[in-house]
Amino acid sequence: MSRFLGRRLGTAILVLFGVSLVTFTLARVIPSNPAALYIGPRARAEEIARVTEELGLNRPLPLQYLDYMGDMLTGDWGTSIGTKRPVLSEILDRLPATLELLITAMVIAVVFGTLLGVLSAQWRGRPPDLVVRLIAIAGVSMPAFWLGLLLQVLFFRQLDLLPLSGRLDTDIRFISPITDVTGFFTIDAFVTGNWVAFGDAAAHLVLPAVTLAAYPIGLIARMTRASMLEALGQDYVRSARAYGIGERTVVYRLALRNALPPTLTVLGLTLAYSLTGAFFVEIVFNWPGLGQFAVDALLNVDYPAVMGIALLGAAGYVLINLAVDIAQAWLDPRVRLA
Amino acid sequence: MIGANVEAVAAPQELPSRDRGRVVRALLADPLSVVGLVLITLLVVAAALGPWIAPFPDQGAGQTNIGEALLPPGGEHLLGTDRLGRDMLSRIILGARPALLVSLLVVGLAVLIGAPLGAIAGYRGGRLDEAIMRLTDLFLAFPPLLLAMAIIAALGPGLERAALALAISWWPWYARITRGVAASLRERPFVDAARSIGVPERTIVRRHILPNAISPILVQATVDIGTVILAAGSLAFIGLGARPPAPDWGLMVSEGRTFILDQWWYSGFPGLAIFLSVLGFNLVGDTLRDIFDPRQVRR
Repeated sequence: MSRFLGRRLGTAILVLFGVSLVTFTLARVIPSNPAALYIGPRARAEEIARVTEELGLNRPLPLQYLDYMGDMLTGDWGTSIGTKRPVLSEILDRLPATLELLITAMVIAVVFGTLLGVLSAQWRGRPPDLVVRLIAIAGVSMPAFWLGLLLQVLFFRQLDLLPLSGRLDTDIRFISPITDVTGFFTIDAFVTGNWVAFGDAAAHLVLPAVTLAAYPIGLIARMTRASMLEALGQDYVRSARAYGIGERTVVYRLALRNALPPTLTVLGLTLAYSLTGAFFVEIVFNWPGLGQFAVDALLNVDYPAVMGIALLGAAGYVLINLAVDIAQAWLDPRVRLA
Repeated sequence: MIGANVEAVAAPQELPSRDRGRVVRALLADPLSVVGLVLITLLVVAAALGPWIAPFPDQGAGQTNIGEALLPPGGEHLLGTDRLGRDMLSRIILGARPALLVSLLVVGLAVLIGAPLGAIAGYRGGRLDEAIMRLTDLFLAFPPLLLAMAIIAALGPGLERAALALAISWWPWYARITRGVAASLRERPFVDAARSIGVPERTIVRRHILPNAISPILVQATVDIGTVILAAGSLAFIGLGARPPAPDWGLMVSEGRTFILDQWWYSGFPGLAIFLSVLGFNLVGDTLRDIFDPRQVRR
């Protein structure tokens, strides 16, 4: 196991290194005048000269890269053109909101996706299977931003059940403010026993989380269906049935356990997809997370911010995949011995 | 000369016609892929004949008609009108062509870059293989769309640049698929035979390796055409794709957002157009994948 860990960790570091090369190329090599991009529109000549000096843009590229790496590693990710604040702190301030949304969506997706996949496999070829397949494929075909708008019309405008947007009603701040513990509003409100705020935060979380979960539900349901079908065809399942073990035990205890590792693999992919998916959901629901910041940065050509987000996204992706691989090796000895 | 002859004998059979028949029959046997085929047909018809079948082709192309702004669906305007009084149905029909063309362009470019690189990597093996595959790892280390967004930031927004950015972040998938096929063919007798009589490497890759990769590439491309429509729509929604007054679906959803609570059709129908187009390709792709490789589920 430790050899596997070492090898896998080595690859992850190499990939992260490569990723920094890509962002460096996009930030410094491709633009014809990176200094102007760093200042933003209406840059004056003396400003450009100053920034060129500051960023060392007149030095040889390999040296520039070393500087860039040093800056990234020491947490100096540049200053956002839009907000005039350090990019890294802008990102870290908004990360909890995005993570809360992302994690809630993942939990919803894993529960419902697995359930749908199992159902589909049990009813293979019959109408329920067809319906689940349609739901799964529809889930991965739906533009998240559009689904979000539809849910707003239905649950806010028509049914008046859930809030339209945002993370919290504005008056909560005065009635029953949340004490900051983790940055996750629902958890913070829960652990401090602040039920008014908890209810409000949870209600605000429902629509965006469901919107974001649609795509992963589809992916996970498809994967679970495929691996369940394989597991249900195995000899041990036939033997278990021959011994008269109940169908529920056979499906949920025996087959599902063996069908889970492949689902774990899609989970990594899914999380990565949802990271960018969250951008669009955040825009629709005015969710004050990274997505809003990212899109503003993109539209205003806030270069340092864009590159910071790209680097963070890639790093997050690499780490998630690392975690998935380790979990898989832990679950399945064949993986770590291969 | 000798090489050419042996090639003709040793070359693998292309997918025989009865296999093609099998694929068509399997597609028609699955109700879901039939729905998919219908949706794709609708999209292609709208893309090909848009200006002739749209009820108000001028409005579809952008001509405004302020007097009839934000009319609800029904009557003369089946799907209602937008804030500039343009017929939504016409706008949506005219949006089919750019959506399909951009997607075909992106997937085509991605195949053109990815397939040859993957074929060479798999056929040669060794250092070159290692180098090309690590390169794909790098590109795939970014969450989907994020790399495209970063590239657009470097290039500047616009439809063509968005398409280029998407293609640059998409090719590694095709490189990987083709590499897998190439690596499995490298030691097969017909490739060995071709190599031993001195057929140049380029010819082997072109004649023996690439043709065998066509089926898996086609399956992936079918799904990807839909996925790229979705990706391009998403980029347009946040303002990184097409510019007004282009009849772009993602852009229309974005324009309608301010009116969503009272004029739901403004964002609703263009979004539906994106959804149904993507759904069509995914439904067909799903069945194709079952036919070619029942075990492979990806993305």
